[in-house]
Amino acid sequence: MTIRTLDGATFAQMVLTGANHLTNNAKMIDALNVFPVPDGDTGTNMNLSMTSGANEVRNVVTNHVGEVGKSLAKGLLMGARGNSGVILSQLFRGFSKAVEDKETITTAEFAEALQSGVKTAYKAVMKPVEGTILTVAKESAQAAESLAQEHEDHIEFLEAVLKEAKASLKRTPELLPVLKEVGVVDSGGQGLVTIYEGFLANLKGEELPAHSGDLNNSMDEMVNAEHHKLAQDFMDTDDIVYGYCTEFMVKFEEDKLKETPYDEEAFRQALSERGDSLLVVSDEDLVKVHVHTEQPGEALNMAQSYGSLINMKIENMREQHTSIVGDQKSSESKQEKPKEEFGIVSVAMGTGIKEMLESLGASVVIEGGQTMNPSTQDIANAIQQANAKNVIVLPNNKNIVMAAEQAAELAEEQVVVVPTKTVPQGMSALLAFLPDQSLEENEKAMKEAAQQVKTGQITYAVRDTQIEGVDIEKGHFMGIIDGKISSSNQDKLQTTKQLLLDMIDEDEDEIITIIQGEEATSEEVETIEAFIEERFEDMEVEIHKGNQPIYSFIFSVE
Amino acid sequence: MSIDLNTNYGHVTITNEVISTVAGGAAVECYGIVGMASKNQIKDGLADILRKENFSKGVVVRQEDGQVHIDMYIIVSYGTKISEVAHNVQSQVKYTLDKTVGLSVDSVNVYIHGVQVAND
Repeated sequence: MTIRTLDGATFAQMVLTGANHLTNNAKMIDALNVFPVPDGDTGTNMNLSMTSGANEVRNVVTNHVGEVGKSLAKGLLMGARGNSGVILSQLFRGFSKAVEDKETITTAEFAEALQSGVKTAYKAVMKPVEGTILTVAKESAQAAESLAQEHEDHIEFLEAVLKEAKASLKRTPELLPVLKEVGVVDSGGQGLVTIYEGFLANLKGEELPAHSGDLNNSMDEMVNAEHHKLAQDFMDTDDIVYGYCTEFMVKFEEDKLKETPYDEEAFRQALSERGDSLLVVSDEDLVKVHVHTEQPGEALNMAQSYGSLINMKIENMREQHTSIVGDQKSSESKQEKPKEEFGIVSVAMGTGIKEMLESLGASVVIEGGQTMNPSTQDIANAIQQANAKNVIVLPNNKNIVMAAEQAAELAEEQVVVVPTKTVPQGMSALLAFLPDQSLEENEKAMKEAAQQVKTGQITYAVRDTQIEGVDIEKGHFMGIIDGKISSSNQDKLQTTKQLLLDMIDEDEDEIITIIQGEEATSEEVETIEAFIEERFEDMEVEIHKGNQPIYSFIFSVE
Repeated sequence: MSIDLNTNYGHVTITNEVISTVAGGAAVECYGIVGMASKNQIKDGLADILRKENFSKGVVVRQEDGQVHIDMYIIVSYGTKISEVAHNVQSQVKYTLDKTVGLSVDSVNVYIHGVQVAND
């Protein structure tokens, strides 16, 4: 059988089959949906849009292609949902415009109408994203123009157009990186292909399988697997606020609607107060709901006042998540921890400094410092705890360097001591550490880095004394630059300001880090910051809470 | 005005300029939008459609009591279902901001400032 001219009745049947075929495949298309928002509703949206179009077509009695097209366009516009639904409505709006006055159409006119649809669809967007339904529509319409010249028979013509549409769909991952990443084709494009498939099957008088065989089924799983991987990576089971993934549909019943009229906005609002990840889509007969909530029963009760519930599914997401994460954790803990290539042992006083050192890469931080030096044994234990083949020790105090060297000799591992004398030196050394370099290279680089930084410390004197020409009274504050006392005054801030003036070289230095001790107040820090900004306007100031005892402030200048 | 996020490693400050540019970029990728409009048409002249660098003029980021609200002024294409286009903009802007900036938006208000009629 050859069909040279397509009449309205045939076209209407094609539309109905296309819509039907889309309904059957909506779930599979949902599973493909990763762009622009991976909420898995493209199929649902397209289906609701197309169904609305098909319903209009069903209601019109005519054999005029233009009339059928008009009602399809009208139904699609009214029922358009989601991005893909709106695009679909535009494609057929342009299509119907082109066939408006035609009672029957030839393949050439069909091709022209497809082109017109694409033009209309592209007009409605500022920035068309290629690799989507737009691309599939465009490329198949372009091919259709020349195909119409080869084929006067509508069946042959549509067969060829469909082939091109499928080829275009296959190329979408090349155009849209996110599709490639997840390993799927575009969902909207797939929806359009599904509609074309329906068109063709109707012309040929063929039955279509409920599931399109062209797609490999693993796509479904792929999308789900990706979803689960993300959930594990980024979430703790305790982070789940709403524990039940609840999905259901309500089939409206008239007598119930009389009592409680359905208002989508109000219903959505009511649900959103009880949960998140909310999706409410409805047409005249049905509403589909997806919601994560703590009270699935309440959601169901609410919905039931509009009609009867169908296709219910409730899952406990906490259980699911615990079992996924649990599986992973138990398999991890079975293995004994292998030795790392490098470990770094450092010494700190103050919880804040400990955290800073850890954040810079220290594997083990021992509490200690001025007046509370850790023993050789403490350091040896820490070296073992670092669980590494090569261990670098940063003593951060000149009184601990010796103990660290002794511990290094005792240890079985390869241990080097980078003799840092202050916390800022230790931090600079940590920054110079590169895990892909050898132990010797790291030792050298870290020693050099430690020399680059200037350290200033503010503390108080415990007794009267005279050191290096500076008279110090008990209770006075002292400024110490790299171990040398540079200033002393009974006022803490005066001492600090003098220390900074002595220490900072405006031509060389760029960054000053202030580590606030446990005896320093925020007001003091602000005063110092203002002082630095006033005197050295190009210096960058960083402030950290070190919570160290003894030293009100530690300054690092680079 | 800006948005501050505290992370384990420190502090991130994101200015409203960034938020409005991201929001505007996400919106114009939506189907059915032919442009962003300036919220202040008299001041910014009659040229309705903003260019990319001016998106922020069509996007207002407001912070009230720790909540973030976004107002967007857009121009849609004639013949599309306006409510649906607006809804797509809302969900895409919310999603994109959450994904790229880590910012959870409490509301995205869309003002349709014009309809572009194309000849067809």
